[in-house]
Amino acid sequence: MNTAQSEDNIIVANALTKRFHGFAAVSDVDLSVRRHSIHALIGPNGAGKTTMFNLITKFLSPTEGRILFNGRDITTEPPARVARRGIVRSFQISAIYPRMSVADNVRMALQRPIGSSFHFWKSVKSLSVLDDRIDELLDAVGLLASRDQAAAGLPYGRKRALEFATTLALEPELMLLDEPTSGLGHEDVDRIADLIKQVSADRTILMVEHNLSVVAKLADAITVLARGKVLAEGSYSEISENPEVVEAYIGGSDD
Amino acid sequence: MTEAADLTVSNLNAWYGESQALHGMDFNVRRGEVVTLLGRNGAGKTTTLRSIMGLIKRKTGEIRLGDEELQKRLPEYIARRGVAYCPEERGIFASLSVDENLTLPPVVAPGGMSLDDIFALFPNLAERRGSQGTKLSGGEQQMLAIARILRTGATILLLDEPTEGLAPVIVKQIGQVIGKLKERGLTVLLVEQNFRFASKLADRHYVVEHGRIIDTIDAADVAASMSRIENYLKV
Amino acid sequence: MFELIGISPVLLFGQLLIGLINGVFYSMMSLGVAIIFGMLRIGNFVHGAQYMLGAFGAWYLLHLPDIFPGLGLPSLGYWWALVLVPFGVGLIGALMERLFIRKVYDLEHAYGLLLTVGLAMMIEGIFNVGYGAAGQQYSVPESLRGGINLGFMFMPLYRVWVIVFALLVCFATWYVIERTKLGSYLRAATENPDMVRAFGINVPRMLMLTYAFGVGLAGLAGVMAAPIYQVSPQMGQSIIITIFAVVVIGGMGSIFGAIVTGLMLGLIEGLTKVFYPEGSTTVIFIIMAIVLVFRPAGLFGKETSAHHPSDIAAARPGSFLENGRLWLIVMAVGGSILPFLVYPVFAMKMLCLALFASAYNLVFGYVGLLAFGHAAFYGSSAYVAAHTASIWGFPTEVAILSGVAAATALGALFGWLAIRRQGLYFAMITLALAQIVYFYAIQAPWTHGEDGIQSVPRGYLFGVIDLNEPLNMYFFVLAIFLCGFALIYRIVRSPFGQVLKSIRENEPRSISLGYSTDRFKLIAFTLSAGLAGLAGGTKAIVFQIASLADLYFMTSADALLMTLIGGVGTLLGPIVGAIVVVTMQKELATLGSWVIVVQGSAFVLCVLFLRKGIVGTLEDFLSRREERKRIAADGGKASAPALDSEAAS
Repeated sequence: MNTAQSEDNIIVANALTKRFHGFAAVSDVDLSVRRHSIHALIGPNGAGKTTMFNLITKFLSPTEGRILFNGRDITTEPPARVARRGIVRSFQISAIYPRMSVADNVRMALQRPIGSSFHFWKSVKSLSVLDDRIDELLDAVGLLASRDQAAAGLPYGRKRALEFATTLALEPELMLLDEPTSGLGHEDVDRIADLIKQVSADRTILMVEHNLSVVAKLADAITVLARGKVLAEGSYSEISENPEVVEAYIGGSDD
Repeated sequence: MTEAADLTVSNLNAWYGESQALHGMDFNVRRGEVVTLLGRNGAGKTTTLRSIMGLIKRKTGEIRLGDEELQKRLPEYIARRGVAYCPEERGIFASLSVDENLTLPPVVAPGGMSLDDIFALFPNLAERRGSQGTKLSGGEQQMLAIARILRTGATILLLDEPTEGLAPVIVKQIGQVIGKLKERGLTVLLVEQNFRFASKLADRHYVVEHGRIIDTIDAADVAASMSRIENYLKV
Repeated sequence: MFELIGISPVLLFGQLLIGLINGVFYSMMSLGVAIIFGMLRIGNFVHGAQYMLGAFGAWYLLHLPDIFPGLGLPSLGYWWALVLVPFGVGLIGALMERLFIRKVYDLEHAYGLLLTVGLAMMIEGIFNVGYGAAGQQYSVPESLRGGINLGFMFMPLYRVWVIVFALLVCFATWYVIERTKLGSYLRAATENPDMVRAFGINVPRMLMLTYAFGVGLAGLAGVMAAPIYQVSPQMGQSIIITIFAVVVIGGMGSIFGAIVTGLMLGLIEGLTKVFYPEGSTTVIFIIMAIVLVFRPAGLFGKETSAHHPSDIAAARPGSFLENGRLWLIVMAVGGSILPFLVYPVFAMKMLCLALFASAYNLVFGYVGLLAFGHAAFYGSSAYVAAHTASIWGFPTEVAILSGVAAATALGALFGWLAIRRQGLYFAMITLALAQIVYFYAIQAPWTHGEDGIQSVPRGYLFGVIDLNEPLNMYFFVLAIFLCGFALIYRIVRSPFGQVLKSIRENEPRSISLGYSTDRFKLIAFTLSAGLAGLAGGTKAIVFQIASLADLYFMTSADALLMTLIGGVGTLLGPIVGAIVVVTMQKELATLGSWVIVVQGSAFVLCVLFLRKGIVGTLEDFLSRREERKRIAADGGKASAPALDSEAAS
């Protein structure tokens, strides 16, 4: 690939392989995500989508291969540093702080960049400068009314929305969403999908998603993984016409 | 009571933590039938099998085997009633050899296959008997996972995506095995994404979406319903 | 050659033999602990007590006619004991699993450890009541008396037997687990218990039998140890901490590893006795520290990344019980009245321990780290404060601050080592590291061994206020306590404290938000150590003594117990817990040795029935009442989360 192309890509994974006890969950995967696009990772169960997520966010270290973020090699960096560089992820099961209030959940994301997180001698009130921004974010996901409630008491769909607001609060350059609509009812699915579309304006989103109507609606580019390898890449219409993809989803005519 | 519904699931709801995976599943499998649950990822097929096996704690509704209610039973009890489960991730034990994996499940009823029968059915396994479980190829692991529940005399087999990630030649072999099981009179509840594979085996297909059955297609109607089915499953 | 290095062969081989004997016991015991941990995920702290039961079992069998006179029972000797006792102890183990341990499988690992700590205290306490510290003699069986003269040394026959038989038992255990059908069930259930259940195997029963087997091994080791060591109620207490260190060094997941590590460490210990006797009691713990730096998963262990979100804290945000400003005033007022209601010394003890427990709660309650070695910080500060005040003549306040500095430094070091591991490992590691300090204090000249540092001068505060006046001393301690409390409140309610809570609630999420969580944990641990030091240093001045008891692991257990009784992760919990425990100890003082049994029972009861502690339970009550009020105010329209209604099936 030429340099101009790689500059357009926010993240480039080269020949990424991850083996667990000899079993290759991801093998020799190349993945490039274009800046300011919504990129979806799809594929049958066990295809290695979540492993890819864990590799990019460094929650797992690749057995082989390299990961470049904005041209910088982040292959050996710890996960927290990768997050500080602007790669922020969500989790498959709603990742919230259950016994903190809804507002404090979002505050956790906002307080790190202001740099007082090690200040154990300061009052927590010093963080109230963040209140306006918190309210803004909660409003965006329709949670403003619940701001002082403990997060544990929210219904499941609202928890996903809270997680989304928290992730968004960091203004990540690259946002990784792991099945953002799984376990949600129709209404919540639409609401989250609209939100994703809305926040994608000046950032890049890489998402794992099972709900193909969401993928069809949102994704600019799709990578199909199967058995830990890239099966196909392209737009939704290209992917849905691809016979290999159809085979992976519906089954091959083997005789 | 050969015509009686053998396994009946009614209004089954199930949760993983807070996330509801099943929203009122209703279906039945008669004795000796091969029935599939079709559907996309995350539709709730695996959860259905795990619920039947008693591996999901938080659930409501009914799971009946003949006249017996199993919904509140523990997995070890359900297994002793002749239900056997082959999970999607195959559940091969890494610290056990092939032989140990094969003989681990205790015999729960007479009428199971002998080791010789099993090795005749899966010749590859015979060669790998001493190997460690996870040193096998994906196809061999899948065969081992099926083989070990054939020994036990279980009469209802729950198979979760037995063809997933396997080469066509292996898929074909597994298809033949399931065919033979049917000949032996076993009941099979099969979860599949590979419809072309399933369509050759099953008496009936249930289409699962969002944790409930949205359509039922009998084997005889498959050809006529092909476009409908593709619509359910395709990308 | 021996002459060259100045060591006599008799000494060298003699110590190697002792090392080997210790080694086979370590192997047998750590094998049991490792099997139990592998299958049940329980850190079986009561293993030492079960080993002691084995030794006493043998002794009882021998003395049957004396214990039950008139029944005509025979005296059953060593060989009978070797067969009967392991079964008896295993049966007791099965019973314990059934009654207690089973209840905590689905809970945070901390509770399994706390439960077994409580059980160990109960069992050892009961025997202590019966037999005191004095050991009972158990003689070597007739057939194994005498020995073999190897020319350079005399080899007692019984020791040869112990080594050979113990190795046989270890090997047989390895064989059963790795090579038999039964073992294949065990291995499979360790990997994936759900799958094994789905095959129709009764896994709960298997867990019970596994526990009974591991415990039976400890009982067998106890019988074999009876003729070598003294049969005493304390014999298990000293070995269990070493066993935990052996398990940390060997790493989990390898039966073979446990056996080899046990033997190896016994030998190393023996060699250390020859070449550097002062280091022999600590060498295993120091090796553990080194292994942790280079191979955090242990020598034979497999990498485990299992993270268990802590589910221990009981505070309710916004509750008035968490309002530190309010309670600071309440305690200042209440504390000023207290010395006129109770003896000032008693009140001061309460304040010191309340501060200690609050400091401990900072790591356990607010970060979710199960530390089990806070005695090291409390005690080391006590020693440093006592030494600087009495020998170096430091002014009182400077002496206490020196203690705090020492505890903080130690906290930073231990924290740096222990932070590498989580959950139960964290507990085992902090416990073992604290043992190094304990053994150091036994041997170092300036700590005066068993005597401790006595007659520490209370001195004059700022050179003017005479602290020998009980009320002066008291108000000084009250001031320290209130400052400590205010600092803890500030830490908890600071931006830093928010991060700590977030780590406790969901560490992966905090990492994904860009927090290097290990650094936060380390700072919290260090602060907690410093505050524990503040309590310990103050205590040394108040009671004018620093003693080994301050460093003993029971002091760490006390901190845990106070926090647990009061309510983990609540502001007031540790203080309430300290009041309860100190009052209980005073009221029960007439019971003498029974106190430890009562305390052990308190552990067990808390784990089984009062996991949220007094304050946490109160919070629950208040929040339910509030909820009812809210629903009533909404005109009976229940606005409970939809999920709860779904859950109520």
